[in-house]
Amino acid sequence: MTTSTSSTPPKRRRRWRTEYALTAFLFLLPTFIFLAIFVVWPIAASIQLSFTEWNGISPTQKPVGGANWVRLMSDGVFWRAFRNNLVIVVLSILIQLPIGMALAVLLDRGGRKFNLFKTVYFFPLLMSTVAVGILFKYIYDPQFGMLTSGLRALGLGFLVQDWLGDTDVVLFSVIAVICWQFIPFYMIIFYAALTGIPAELREAAFIDGATESNYFWRIVLPLLRGTISTAAVLSLIGSLKYFDLIWVMTEGGPTNASELMATYMYKKAFQSYEMGYGSTVATALFVIVMVIALSVLFVTRRFSEENE
Amino acid sequence: MKTRKTSTFVSMMALLAALTMILSACVPAGVAPQPAASDGAAAPAATDGEKVITMWHIQTTEPGPQLIQQAVDRFMADNPGVKVEVEALQNDPFKTKIKVAMGAGNPPCIFPSWGGGPLYEYVKSGQVTDLTPYMDADNYKDRFVPASLSNVTFDDKIWGVPVENSAVAVLFYNKPLFEQYGLNAPATWDDLMVAIETFKANDIAPFALANKTKWTGSMYFMYLVDRLGGPEVFKKAGTRTGGTFEDPVFIEAGKRLQELVNAGAFSEGFNGLDYDTGQSRQLMYAGKAAMELMGSWNISTAKGENPEFYEKNLDFVAFPALPDGKGDPNNVVGTVGDNFYSISPTCAYPEEAFKLLQYIIDDESVKLRGEAGKIPPVKGFTTDDPMLQKVIGMIEAAPSVQLWYDQYLPPELGEVHKDTSQALFGLSMTPEEAAKAQEDAAKKFYGEQ
Repeated sequence: MTTSTSSTPPKRRRRWRTEYALTAFLFLLPTFIFLAIFVVWPIAASIQLSFTEWNGISPTQKPVGGANWVRLMSDGVFWRAFRNNLVIVVLSILIQLPIGMALAVLLDRGGRKFNLFKTVYFFPLLMSTVAVGILFKYIYDPQFGMLTSGLRALGLGFLVQDWLGDTDVVLFSVIAVICWQFIPFYMIIFYAALTGIPAELREAAFIDGATESNYFWRIVLPLLRGTISTAAVLSLIGSLKYFDLIWVMTEGGPTNASELMATYMYKKAFQSYEMGYGSTVATALFVIVMVIALSVLFVTRRFSEENE
Repeated sequence: MKTRKTSTFVSMMALLAALTMILSACVPAGVAPQPAASDGAAAPAATDGEKVITMWHIQTTEPGPQLIQQAVDRFMADNPGVKVEVEALQNDPFKTKIKVAMGAGNPPCIFPSWGGGPLYEYVKSGQVTDLTPYMDADNYKDRFVPASLSNVTFDDKIWGVPVENSAVAVLFYNKPLFEQYGLNAPATWDDLMVAIETFKANDIAPFALANKTKWTGSMYFMYLVDRLGGPEVFKKAGTRTGGTFEDPVFIEAGKRLQELVNAGAFSEGFNGLDYDTGQSRQLMYAGKAAMELMGSWNISTAKGENPEFYEKNLDFVAFPALPDGKGDPNNVVGTVGDNFYSISPTCAYPEEAFKLLQYIIDDESVKLRGEAGKIPPVKGFTTDDPMLQKVIGMIEAAPSVQLWYDQYLPPELGEVHKDTSQALFGLSMTPEEAAKAQEDAAKKFYGEQ
């Protein structure tokens, strides 16, 4: 009996706990019900559907065992989509995070003078993805597009590509837009973290003779490690389940060159009337995102524990 | 430790968001905003013995909604005690919504379709009422152009009523541009090749094509097949009655198509351009492209978007004949009658629903559709618009109207067709590979392996 609660009689303490648990349970219940109906149950239903052949409208679903999964394993388009997703993951993290960080540092160092830029840099994130997609479709237009005519006007005509029509280029054209849209998001996350670093740290560092670059690499970055890994996980998961901009700009084409797992799932389930196989793709996507996210989480947690 | 908690929490939230997204099966973000639609799909509870009929349609561009509404209003005035609830949906959200509604056993009484393969898919799934007895009563079906009924007739039964419009793919061209270079409207394949060379030499794209949309490029392929081998080749392959998608005609059509691509016949970057946002029409309007193979709806689109172009520049001819082709050059590819309206078996009042459909395509409605620049699929329809009258003439003179492949085929095969034809255009598949992919998909679909 050394703890401070030792003065409370055990009986009362137990009752207080039960009441507490009950209250917590009641408060959480609506959320649980909501999640069960709209998240858990659909997941279970999707998994079940992935073992059937169903066109999505027929009253009967034909169970086919693992046939859909066998098909998935040898489905070139799915694996191409998976590879495209990985490309987006890698490029998103490599491009969005550093630029986001650079902008955040710029805003942080710039102080009040940069208030206008804070807003301006944030604009892309405020625009609806559909609007962004259509806007860039026009920018990439090979005849009238701003990008093409801009490059030609600058005498850089040799750089002009068939931005959205060339199977080797299209994925990167879209990734550029994704980055344009999401860099502000990471900028804000990093900016918020940067403002949380006390000014004394900086003063102390500079009194000790640190340079700007010393200060950034040796003090700021280690302090922001948690934020950075959070941002990386967000970017990772976002990239794996990416759908909207690709759908608006290319619908995964031409000839699957920019196909993603999510667009492929949508096409199968709703355009080809293969709800069963579409559910298999959805479940595979679910498993892939889950496994990758959990392992990243595990690794970052181990990493941060080792460093504490 | 704060770090770990935050990242765990954030990751969990992100995971959750991921799951929600995956399993809500991605409501397409890429399409026009849906009208604030109530979920009035279910047969709503009738109040005071009032009969309620729900109807969905996708005629969202003016005057589409009025064309439906005026008929509904007249029907309700003549039939007290029957209430019609009309819901207009955007094209693409509709496709998803109808499937979900049917899968959930909750479809509207009356729903639109394009006939062909997708409608047959609904029919096979027991989601459509057989309308043959209604169509046979008083020979009502004789009101319609025969080609329109063939798109909704499966297993010798009629499953839909053709209502909205007729559209066939024709070769639009920019008249003054042809005059400027001393060219005639291409009547033969040789004419066409001369025109292509001339325009290429003058830095004008011979054809405007926006093939991200896929069905746009498919039109060229369908016409090539039809002109080369006639409609039977496709019919036999599609219905699996002794034909195959590896028929030499399909391969030859693919070769011709790639010849055109290699000759630079299509506008730059065509596989990335989107028809829905007007990227091919802009080329036409700007005089940067000379021709476009497109559905005859392009007439009213141009009239609305660019009246000046419509007045001075726009004209069209039939797709030219191929020198060694077996197909009748009067054949057309297109659709007669869509949208078609069908009645769901869950509908409590099918007789009233059919009566409502008769109002929607009665003489008054036909007249109004004609004024709106449409070609309702009824016999003896004429219009003052010379261009539309020309389309009507083409349809009447056509020995065969080939329905768009992607609507004729079951959806699964339709998608394969669109993908392979886009690949043909992108030169990423040979004609043989494309033909094989289509045939393999058909074999698998019909369980022939």
